[in-house]
Amino acid sequence: MTPARGLAQQAHPFTLFAITGAVALLAFILPPPGGPVALYAAVVVLALAAGVGRAAARALLVCLPLWILLFLLLAVFGTGPRSDLGVITVSRSGLDAALAQGARLGAVATASLALFASFDPSRFLDAVAARGWSFHAAYLLVATLQAAPRFRQRAAMILEAQRARGLRFGGNPVRRLRGLAPLTTPLVLGMLSEVDDRAMALETRGLDARVARTPLEPPADRIADRLIRRGLPLLVVAALAWRLFG
Amino acid sequence: MSPRLLALVPSAVAINLAIGFVVNQLGLPVYLDTVGTVLTSALAGPVAGVAVGLLSQSVRSLYEGFIWLPFGAVQVLIALLAVLAAARGGFRSLPRSIVWGLLVGLAAGLLSAAISFFVFKGVTATGVTAVTILLTRLGLTTGQAVTVSSIGTDLVDKTLVFALVGGILRALPARVAGRYDWALRALAR
Repeated sequence: MTPARGLAQQAHPFTLFAITGAVALLAFILPPPGGPVALYAAVVVLALAAGVGRAAARALLVCLPLWILLFLLLAVFGTGPRSDLGVITVSRSGLDAALAQGARLGAVATASLALFASFDPSRFLDAVAARGWSFHAAYLLVATLQAAPRFRQRAAMILEAQRARGLRFGGNPVRRLRGLAPLTTPLVLGMLSEVDDRAMALETRGLDARVARTPLEPPADRIADRLIRRGLPLLVVAALAWRLFG
Repeated sequence: MSPRLLALVPSAVAINLAIGFVVNQLGLPVYLDTVGTVLTSALAGPVAGVAVGLLSQSVRSLYEGFIWLPFGAVQVLIALLAVLAAARGGFRSLPRSIVWGLLVGLAAGLLSAAISFFVFKGVTATGVTAVTILLTRLGLTTGQAVTVSSIGTDLVDKTLVFALVGGILRALPARVAGRYDWALRALAR
């Protein structure tokens, strides 16, 4: 995981989470289809300006199959009055719904992938320690992000080892299903034996001690960060009030 | 949380994600992305199980976008039902695991269908959505099609997960199982 350079990397870790959370809420609060479409456009511009434009491209790859399926299910096979698009006719209300839902997914995916691209585990742990918040929750998130690629690599190694021992995983689904146990059992049993060593290491490092931790290098919490974090909840509440009573 | 749970939870989440890789390699039309959640629930109880479920969905969402975060509710439901299954000896034998897998699949499928329909307008994973589209072409409404495809997928998926976890739990050496209070109850050792 290589942190991106630019504004996103300089921002306080909590600011990035606040922006992503606000985008997710606004995507469903703003009136469709214009609101979600405008929000998606704004998020893409923000991602480009913050130096995490690649996240917008990755989000496109994530969303493209969903957009196609939305178009098919809601617009092409949808019911109600239809419009002629030249080659095919589509349901008007279905097309609006597909556009709104597609833009919602695009906005949320872009914001969250931008967060991941700029996420620095050590800065996040330092920010949590500086606040005096529960270190356990932050540790769980960071330890998981570090464990995931390791276990994936181990699964690939077990797969190769079982192939080398003569196990064949091709053929019909039942035959492929039989390959599950020889691949997953060693993975899980290995994980459980590793837990013992890790638990001992965590205990000796005093992770269960109930004392405040001193952050090594706490990230700067600038005025702009604080303004964004305080302003976003107000923006979400204002949008909700406008939608409900406006 | 004890150091043992702090070590177990991230590894179980990583198992949920790594098994996705195994399933891809085998070309199986299932997810099996709750093996770590069910295993942890059976070994260490509801708090650890729910933590694994929520964290799995959050980390998957970090990799693929937070669009899948609402399905965290399904992971929580599965964790809680797996705890119930463990308390009732649901992993003691293969037939018991299969029956509990079917029950959990039904519950998870209903909740998944509600989330798919109300939050995602019926469009989620490619395979399930393809079945949904096919069913709407056969005359079902979108809501009915989403429900049938979600329940059908989850019945198969969770039955396999429970059968697999039951097999792993029964294969656990007594020395390892003895470190987890809930495991002894699940296996009635």
